[in-house]
Amino acid sequence: MQKIWLILTAALLAVSLVLFTPTNPTSTIRSKLVIATTTSTVDSGLLDYLKPYFDARFDADMTWLYLGTGQAIAVASRGDADILLVHDRAREDAFLAAGNGIHRVTVMYNDFVIIGPANDPAGIRGAGEATEAFKRIAEAGESGRALFVSRGDNSGTHALEMKIWSALGLDPRGRRWYMEAGQGMSPTIRLSSEKQAYTLSDRGTWVKLKSAFGEALRLQILFEGDKILLNPYGLILLNPQKYPQINSELAEKFFLFMVSEEGQRLIDSYRVAGEQIFFPAFGKAEDIGLPSEEEEVQFWVKRLSESGLEPPQYVKQR
Amino acid sequence: MKAVELIFSGDPNVIQVTLLSLRVSGLATLIGGALGIPIGAFVALRTFRGKTFVISVINTLMGLPPVLVGLVYYILLSSTGPLGFLRLLYTPEAMILAQLTMVLPIAAGVTISSVSTIDPRLREVAVSLGAGPLQEAAILLWEARLGLLTALVVGFGAAISEVGAIMIVGGNLLGYTRALTTAIVLLTNQGEFVEAIALGIILLALAFLVNAILTLLQMRSRSSLFAQTYTRQSQLKW
Repeated sequence: MQKIWLILTAALLAVSLVLFTPTNPTSTIRSKLVIATTTSTVDSGLLDYLKPYFDARFDADMTWLYLGTGQAIAVASRGDADILLVHDRAREDAFLAAGNGIHRVTVMYNDFVIIGPANDPAGIRGAGEATEAFKRIAEAGESGRALFVSRGDNSGTHALEMKIWSALGLDPRGRRWYMEAGQGMSPTIRLSSEKQAYTLSDRGTWVKLKSAFGEALRLQILFEGDKILLNPYGLILLNPQKYPQINSELAEKFFLFMVSEEGQRLIDSYRVAGEQIFFPAFGKAEDIGLPSEEEEVQFWVKRLSESGLEPPQYVKQR
Repeated sequence: MKAVELIFSGDPNVIQVTLLSLRVSGLATLIGGALGIPIGAFVALRTFRGKTFVISVINTLMGLPPVLVGLVYYILLSSTGPLGFLRLLYTPEAMILAQLTMVLPIAAGVTISSVSTIDPRLREVAVSLGAGPLQEAAILLWEARLGLLTALVVGFGAAISEVGAIMIVGGNLLGYTRALTTAIVLLTNQGEFVEAIALGIILLALAFLVNAILTLLQMRSRSSLFAQTYTRQSQLKW
């Protein structure tokens, strides 16, 4: 019996050593920033890429919640995150109108692509517009020749997909050829590959996944380049009066970092498998076909110079 | 092979994630056990009205869906929620809270069933020899010690392999609340299957280790019980 107690005591000692050792000794020293964001900024690896630069410049610890846009906005509107980086303009505007956020700029953009099996059973390759491509998928679906996988999770990508269906006057939900994954972009793409189905993806996640899986991912880009497929990412500063408990000071620093010369240059230089994933957009809203954001741009250029940071060259030259 | 290399590479992220998993699930098991075992013993040893109902409730709670636990704690701990002032959301403490909620009914339930299977004569003898209620409970719990150990190991196994609750209340924040299971989900989504498998192997190894210790204890405990009984009997004979 004594032996058992010896073993037990030794095990307990070992266990308590593990249990009461703080796992992150730096966490109490450095200031933590929690970004509520979409799956695409995480899955594409962009935030991992930016983290060391931001952490070093502001002696901070940048972390993020990996959510769809809908959930990210819900979490932020409860005050459970410090800043929002999402891509669904309609919901972003509603968030601002409700007084939850005080500043928003389009910080970067890329585009959505329609991917599907190489043999393209719905024949969307030659389609003139994204709506036309969706129409062909629906028709092929009804005759049992094609499948479509939807995110089905209230994400920004899902919102755009629903916008295209409703532009066609179609409600595909419940149809036999239409599947709702209820998951992030990456699982949805993998599901589409297994089912040899069409899906709508942001280019970032697609390129990252394609480079990770190679030929094992049996899908291709079949349609791209339509205006409606533009994918702008909004950076939103939360209302510190409404959410006094958030780390609004560091959130503003992150905002400044993202719109600064350094941040925009880093976004511009990020590559996955040699391919550019995100394009800087601060001060370029009108150039890419979005409503003017001049007022916000002026405000942030001023805040940048007050904070001793450089605005991007092209903004300064104007 | 690459996965095995990664495990032994001493990657600080891998170590941190493993330690966090151990800490969260370990503490959840200890606290959940410390609360659940006395509750289980009380329910098993006392006769009171609605006892069957209470046992049914505990048995039901043994199968608590982790995502539901996570969601409820998220709503409670959210900064605009009723317990928001505690500032616990997205901390390891919130993860411990969620997991101990799952471990507690398991500990209580297994305690009830193992205490109930003890020969009722032991209890009668203890009482007739003048044992008070606390002494009586202590004697019976000691008799049921293997069952209690099982309760803790089952609880730990449920906690460390759980992903739904800690994903929601922990937030999977790198360096703060990223545990083995939530890291596996993220790596799988990013297509990093090798790293995901490496963490999976660590998870399995931990579960194996804990179970191996338990089995060892059980075997020793049984053999010594047997030895005692045997010696006693031979002494009597002699």
